[in-house]
Amino acid sequence: MTTELATNGKPFVHQQAAHCETGVTSALFRHQGVDISEPMIFGIGSGIFFGYLPFLKLSHLPITAFRSKPGSVFRKAAKRLGASFVIKTYRDPQKGMDELRQVLKTGKIVGLATNLYWLPYVSERHRHNFSGHNIIVLRETDCGFRICDPTFALVDCTADGLERARFVPGPLNPRGHMYYTKSVNPHPDLRGACIKGMKDSCNAMLKIPIPIFGVRGIRFLAKRVVKSPDKLGFQEACRNLAGLVRWVEETGTGGAGFRYMYAAFMHEAAGLFGSAELADLAEEMDAIGNNWRDFSVVSARIIKKRGKEEATFVKAGELMLTCANREEAFFNNLQKVVRKLKA
Amino acid sequence: MELEDELFNDGLPKAYYKHNDKGQYVLETEAPWAEKVSVALLISGNRANLEEIRKAVIAGQKSPLCYYMEMRQLEPGMLAKAAGIAVFRAKRHLRPEIFAKLKPSVLNRYTKALRVTLEELKTVPNI
Repeated sequence: MTTELATNGKPFVHQQAAHCETGVTSALFRHQGVDISEPMIFGIGSGIFFGYLPFLKLSHLPITAFRSKPGSVFRKAAKRLGASFVIKTYRDPQKGMDELRQVLKTGKIVGLATNLYWLPYVSERHRHNFSGHNIIVLRETDCGFRICDPTFALVDCTADGLERARFVPGPLNPRGHMYYTKSVNPHPDLRGACIKGMKDSCNAMLKIPIPIFGVRGIRFLAKRVVKSPDKLGFQEACRNLAGLVRWVEETGTGGAGFRYMYAAFMHEAAGLFGSAELADLAEEMDAIGNNWRDFSVVSARIIKKRGKEEATFVKAGELMLTCANREEAFFNNLQKVVRKLKA
Repeated sequence: MELEDELFNDGLPKAYYKHNDKGQYVLETEAPWAEKVSVALLISGNRANLEEIRKAVIAGQKSPLCYYMEMRQLEPGMLAKAAGIAVFRAKRHLRPEIFAKLKPSVLNRYTKALRVTLEELKTVPNI
């Protein structure tokens, strides 16, 4: 935890977070005086999701999303917590940078969506061409901007580098996506917001009638993983599997594809409602997270060619199917429990 | 093993949730083993791929544009959209004999999209 000053001299407390968008959102709320944790924002904003998008590729590998669409967590969480907020995008980079400077002068801290590849301080292992990385700009300095990246640290960034990261030409352009809270409700209705968030998550995981989203998406991908060595050859199948493990563990998920973070949210919610059923569900979510962790360990063993008998693609697919079945049961139970809760 | 250590000692640790003995969730910065393995595999693959393309460019089989496209983690479709050039034209420009005849006005579009200078775009680094 480090403290840093914003433009108007108000101290800003930097706390390390696991995920960029939830970290930014909770930091924006904390700066305005509402103490809310990262998992809480993740649950209220209905961050948990699954989607397998084989037709969208990042460096030749398909995208597997374990979270909802970038940008939606902030929007949903801010709405449900009764904050008034501004979300803007720009066509003209110059205008986007000018407005950022103006908002900073009014003493606000601003969340931005940027491209990870072009952020100057990012190291090689985080350099994907991914346009949904969220950061907070604290103030303008002599040589650029002072930035709080909740997943990493407090850093300095040149104005030129930030402009490039906000406006990358091409289909991945974040278009300078910028957001900040105008005012927040100092005593938000946490219980109501939690119920809304949980219901929304249940619908997203169970009710989308397209086979690549939600629980059905996990089954779809499991079948593909089992078939992949025959279809693609061992080497390429390993690469695909490694890409999948990176989506599970690395991309700011807080471990096991956000499942641990959601378990932390359920744990907090159980304390908030004083409900034993929610506490049981939190335990179950933690177990599902362990199951995903097992899957990534088996995958890593396949990649490293260790223990060829037990670490096979069939085994990895089976573990994913177990995850799918358990998650389906989990969200069905959650739906029943949420109906009984009162805001 | 050295590659994993090199990649994960970059001074930018990520945080992971962990269930501690008291039933609370805490953040820790030790990356899971599976993640290290797969990230190392992907990055070594990317590096080898880039090196292969560099050699192909020097041998005259591919155009330097191909190298810079790979370096910026783009695909022909994305590169074409970023430069504002039709996809089939951008794909043609990956061939060295066609790339060599390009006008500066077309090259300038690529330099803006890829953020390299005009001199850099015509050659690849020779290590």
